[in-house]
Amino acid sequence: MQWVPEYRDDINRVERFNAVARITHWGHTVTFILCLFTGLVLFCDGMDWLATIFGGYAGAGLVHRIAAVLLTLFIAFFVLFDFKGIISWVKDLLRFGMNDIIFVMKFPLDFLGLPVKMPPQTRFNGGEKGNSMLTPTCVIFLVLSGYIMWFPAIFPAGLVRVAYPTHDIAMVFATFMVCMHGYLGSFHPGSGESFWGMWKGTVREDWAKHHHPIWYEEAYGEKADAEKE
Amino acid sequence: MARKTNLYDVSKCIACRACQVACKDWNQLPAVIEPFKGNYQTHKDTNGDTYTIVKFIEHEDDPAADVQWNFLKYQCMHCFEPACMDVCPRKCIYINDWGAVLKDYDNCIGCQYCSYACPFHIPKYRKRQDIVTKCTLCYERVEEGLTPACVRTCPTDALQFGDRDELMQYAEERVKFLRVNGFPNATIYGKFELGGLNMLYVLTDSPDKFDLPVDPKVPGQIPFWQNWVQPYLGWLIPLALLGSATSFVTTRILANKHGEHGEGGHE
Repeated sequence: MQWVPEYRDDINRVERFNAVARITHWGHTVTFILCLFTGLVLFCDGMDWLATIFGGYAGAGLVHRIAAVLLTLFIAFFVLFDFKGIISWVKDLLRFGMNDIIFVMKFPLDFLGLPVKMPPQTRFNGGEKGNSMLTPTCVIFLVLSGYIMWFPAIFPAGLVRVAYPTHDIAMVFATFMVCMHGYLGSFHPGSGESFWGMWKGTVREDWAKHHHPIWYEEAYGEKADAEKE
Repeated sequence: MARKTNLYDVSKCIACRACQVACKDWNQLPAVIEPFKGNYQTHKDTNGDTYTIVKFIEHEDDPAADVQWNFLKYQCMHCFEPACMDVCPRKCIYINDWGAVLKDYDNCIGCQYCSYACPFHIPKYRKRQDIVTKCTLCYERVEEGLTPACVRTCPTDALQFGDRDELMQYAEERVKFLRVNGFPNATIYGKFELGGLNMLYVLTDSPDKFDLPVDPKVPGQIPFWQNWVQPYLGWLIPLALLGSATSFVTTRILANKHGEHGEGGHE
């Protein structure tokens, strides 16, 4: 039984994510998980043992704040160094079409491992589009409500009161998506190759052709080659 | 045990602020000096080192009459159903057996949830210790048979401490007396407000003239957060983990059944 598909450099590979996107992604992975575990200390009851790992509740609070600031800085880093990448990402999300709807509807079968024929996908498939929309939205809400809760004195009291449930709701949805994303981006046999896309930056050409034919055609197909020349 | 209540009779208060000083003294709180704001009130609001203040509220409703000067001792109301207690993530706020709302400061982490859940916005952050503090109704004095420091020091008996039922009777008599002696809007505050407050006020006018909310309510976001988001929504996370684990198993079982997937994933 294999966990993540083997990395094969004997097969032709194409670039999927550039360095800035990958640094942002993994930076957010670490800081989000730190924030999550230090935050669950308060969200769930009876989490003293988890708080102890961070040196008690005060320590957990400190780690939470440091990780939150780093998480914010990674957003700034992404915006500063690859704004074009964000624009093309958003553009791809706006191409949400029939193929994506069919993908999402058929996806539960694929999720369980049943063989399904999916319509051709753009750079991000229907599920990835959903994740790309929901998770960053939740993170933006988490960041905003987090700073409001951190410095309540400089915000109107009504806003502070809204920030508490907002932080919790955004946390739950973001964590839900992160759990699914973490699994689908690694151990799920079909989509596991995309792990290498985010880790090493490249994916197998045949995988790209099979899973994201529209993207492959536009980025690396004959037409794209012709345009480059 | 019967509830023990603090009663504050506005009509007897001369705003000497001895209660404020006695509170500082007993609780060993440092002075907090705020700039002069154009009236006699020492502090704009309670703060981390000031559990009680006397408000000086000015009204000029009737141009013919003089300025109406309303005093109000302001501190924790010791609600029967405290919102601060519901929201505290460390469960360090509790009600003792005679009705004082107390905080276990050892477990307080200074998150200030209680401060913003409170309909009166009373608990305040004390930066030097990273905790949120408020009036304790001098529970340690009361348990030794004394009255709270503010009550002990009050020179005009505007403050009284004792059995809630007895004080309620007294308050009703006072209101009756005040109504026929020039204060037709005199009222009791704390009898029904928020399901009852363990701090009773005899007011000479309607509560809004004393900067008190007429019909105080716990802000709506707080019960939504505590009764819906906190207990139920979090279950989505174990659901995602369970779903992933199920998929992890079934994909591998089905792969064995249908033969291995092609190298690039499912073909």
